[in-house]
Amino acid sequence: MSDQEPVIGIDLGTTNSVVATVRDGVPRVIPNRNGQPLTPSIVAIAKNGKRLVGALAKRQAITNAENTVHAAKRLIGRRWGSKEVEDARKVLPYTLRAGPDGNDVRVELAGRSYSIPEMSAMVLAELKADAEAWFGRPVTKAVITVPAYFNDGQRHATKDAGRIAGLEVLRIINEPTSAALAYGFGKQVERKVVVFDLGGGTFDVSILDIGKSVYDVVGVGGDTYLGGEDFDRRVIDWLTFGFAKENGGIDLRGDKMALQRLRDAAEKGKVELSAVSSAAVHLPFLMGGGEGKPALHLDRQLSREQLEELTKDLVDRCIAVTERTLKDAGVRPAQVGEVILVGGMTRMPRVQRAVKEYFGREPCRGVHPEEVVALGAAIQGHALTAPQAGSEVLLLDVTPQNLGIMVVGGYFQTIIGRNTTVPTSETHLFTTVQDNQTSVRIAVLQGASDRAVDNELLGEFVLEGIRPARRGEVEIEVSFDISADGIVGVSARDVSTGQQQSITVTATSGLTEDEMKRILDEQIDELLEKKQTTREFDLRKQRTQTTLEEIEALRPAVQEALERTRFGKDAVQKAEGVLARVKQAMDARDAAALSEQEESLERTLQLFKGLAGAGRGQGGR
Amino acid sequence: MTEERHQGVVFSEAVLSEDGVDLDVDRRKAILAAEARLGQNHWEVLGLEWNAPVEQVKAAYLDAAKIYHPDRYGGRKLGSYRGRLERVFRRMTEARETLADETRRAAYARSTAPATEFARMEARKLEDERRSLERRARLARQNPLVARASRVGELAARGKEAFQAGDFARAANDLQVAQSLDPGNPELASLASEAKRRAAAKKASEHYDKALTAETMGTLGLALSEYRAALDADPRHVRAAAAGARVAVAQGDHVVARELAQAAVRAAPAMAMAHEALGMVLEAQGDKKEARRALEKALELDPRLDTVKERLRKLRWGILG
Repeated sequence: MSDQEPVIGIDLGTTNSVVATVRDGVPRVIPNRNGQPLTPSIVAIAKNGKRLVGALAKRQAITNAENTVHAAKRLIGRRWGSKEVEDARKVLPYTLRAGPDGNDVRVELAGRSYSIPEMSAMVLAELKADAEAWFGRPVTKAVITVPAYFNDGQRHATKDAGRIAGLEVLRIINEPTSAALAYGFGKQVERKVVVFDLGGGTFDVSILDIGKSVYDVVGVGGDTYLGGEDFDRRVIDWLTFGFAKENGGIDLRGDKMALQRLRDAAEKGKVELSAVSSAAVHLPFLMGGGEGKPALHLDRQLSREQLEELTKDLVDRCIAVTERTLKDAGVRPAQVGEVILVGGMTRMPRVQRAVKEYFGREPCRGVHPEEVVALGAAIQGHALTAPQAGSEVLLLDVTPQNLGIMVVGGYFQTIIGRNTTVPTSETHLFTTVQDNQTSVRIAVLQGASDRAVDNELLGEFVLEGIRPARRGEVEIEVSFDISADGIVGVSARDVSTGQQQSITVTATSGLTEDEMKRILDEQIDELLEKKQTTREFDLRKQRTQTTLEEIEALRPAVQEALERTRFGKDAVQKAEGVLARVKQAMDARDAAALSEQEESLERTLQLFKGLAGAGRGQGGR
Repeated sequence: MTEERHQGVVFSEAVLSEDGVDLDVDRRKAILAAEARLGQNHWEVLGLEWNAPVEQVKAAYLDAAKIYHPDRYGGRKLGSYRGRLERVFRRMTEARETLADETRRAAYARSTAPATEFARMEARKLEDERRSLERRARLARQNPLVARASRVGELAARGKEAFQAGDFARAANDLQVAQSLDPGNPELASLASEAKRRAAAKKASEHYDKALTAETMGTLGLALSEYRAALDADPRHVRAAAAGARVAVAQGDHVVARELAQAAVRAAPAMAMAHEALGMVLEAQGDKKEARRALEKALELDPRLDTVKERLRKLRWGILG
């Protein structure tokens, strides 16, 4: 099994991401190069033009808010002008623009514009690199998770992000399903399981019927705009209103840096309150006074009761969505054999209490809410690549939303209903509505509304060459087909002439093939550039290493000399500073910083040589 | 081309030995055999007995999914077998959708009851009739009045006479009594049952004629009860069943309508008229998908049915130009 190319599972979260794999039959999380299981899903372009990902990007977010992208997941696969994007523009500190086709969303960072998949790709590439460091070999195959409620466009955009990051995405699977896979791994489970997933940005609930190692998804529901960040925002609002009251109506939200500090403090306080009953929010010098005015500080105490009061309606909304999902699937709460909590927000005691009250049972405590999704993705990746049926797991996933076409009057006619097990296919017959109509436009849509305009347009095509006839006489057969990996194919056929047209639906928002090619080319350029700088660094490192060794060799003599004379102490102290900077540059593999220090290092060597020589001279005298 | 048999399935040697497919021959055969079953009913597709309970349906589906879901063959080359697997799995999912739902399962079980099941029900009915005749005969032997008239020959002669005259009801009556007094006589038995059949058919057609008249006059209640009487007299009277279903729909009595339509399909599964009636009833009940299926079946059996074509058209949607 060890010669098998490694497969990774990635939980690409709104706030944090996790990578995992199955090794020796055991699913495990791969720590990042800082030794942490969680990598913040944050990307930034630093002041010096360097690209930062993860904890490094998060650390500098306060001072560089407009060039730091967080929560890119909320934008992926969304259209410019959609409600989601408009809402995000109001709260996000970085600049969003329309893409070249006016449909796509772009992020403006340090004077360059990036597509959202490119931003997600940066996080994925970081995780890929972490996995490669852990395995000590290249990794290309991955399963990536998305919220169950993601539509086709969002899934495609996530897949594109994987491609940009140099990953072959074996499958996009739903986060709650993935969590259930991890929950059931290595156990004999024969029951209905509900996964309650309240993450940073989205809320998902899924019902699975598990039996004979087959994970059969029987119901999916959720709210794409309900998550931990909404809880944070309640705390931020509470803090800013309090602050305004105390300081004569100053609105902190106008100050990007203050807002970023507030955001961090609110999240930290919220997390603390899961363990303790009261948390202090202390933000000194939140507003620079300037012009003779004193600086303003924020200092408040937030209790657990207050937090629960502020967010009560959000918890209620979670339960309402859960209730609806169970009802749709025809499952009563009492029939549920286990409730699995996923996502950092489910650590909140109030959320756990609400779940317990609704289901009348204690939720399962055996899974790690932040790591379980990535572990499940790793298990699915393993099941999809394991050469023999050694791994028994089989996942039967469903379509998350109704799929259909637009019909007369602008209505939406469902062809494949939501919660249908994939792979699946369905055929419907339609007729023309005008006399001598020779072509029909087939608009393929996805969504819950009866009206076509309220649903997501996945693609469209025209069937031409229809036999001219009275309206209603020509029959057109429209077939939908969803393959096991969720690719939607649609074809239309004129029953009498046999004239046929078909498309494979790819995201209409997101990236075109040309753009994709350009990005991938750029990616290669960047890799080449990286290789170039690596070569340059290696060369410099070699030279520096020799110098350093010479210096170290001289150290005992220098030490000896210093003990005998008062001279040179200052110079040696400065030299130690230089040595520390050189070592730092070596650790960071920063060729530029290394070259900056080259001259100083040379001077240090000369200094040491001089001192050692002097010491020897004195000793000899 | 040599062909071999396996579970009653004829395999094509070319497909069985397709190159570049990472599947052993047993697996290939299992997949091809499942594919050959796709046209069968939901029970057969899942390898179940008719009327198997929901638990068995679910278990069979899970077992089947482990064999036929394409994900089970990740990383393998499947050639034409990928499409086959997907088709098999889809069909099995379709079967599961219906059979794992209690109400839909029950309805489906009624409409797919095998002939043997009907034969068993018919046999039970005949058995009941035979017993009641025996009882009557026993009573008759004890009754001196009837005993006198019970000379078999006399009754048989009278019965045959009535049969010749076309009075099947009386013939059936006499012949049956005669037969009950002389149960070992095969000639009497066959003559009695023929007389009975003809009497029923005649009675049915009388009811049917009355019903037609009543329907023309617009007295639908009477028409419906006459159609049902016709069907009671002769369960194989397809036209009565179909027409009865039509009237019941018009009266808004969907339960009776469906019962009659299903009786029609059972009586004559190869007659378009029966499927048309069923389709119409299902449409009235709002089950468009099943209705379409029934109507398509009707059209398949008789492509000249313009009314069916019209109805099907209404069930389909127009596409915006």
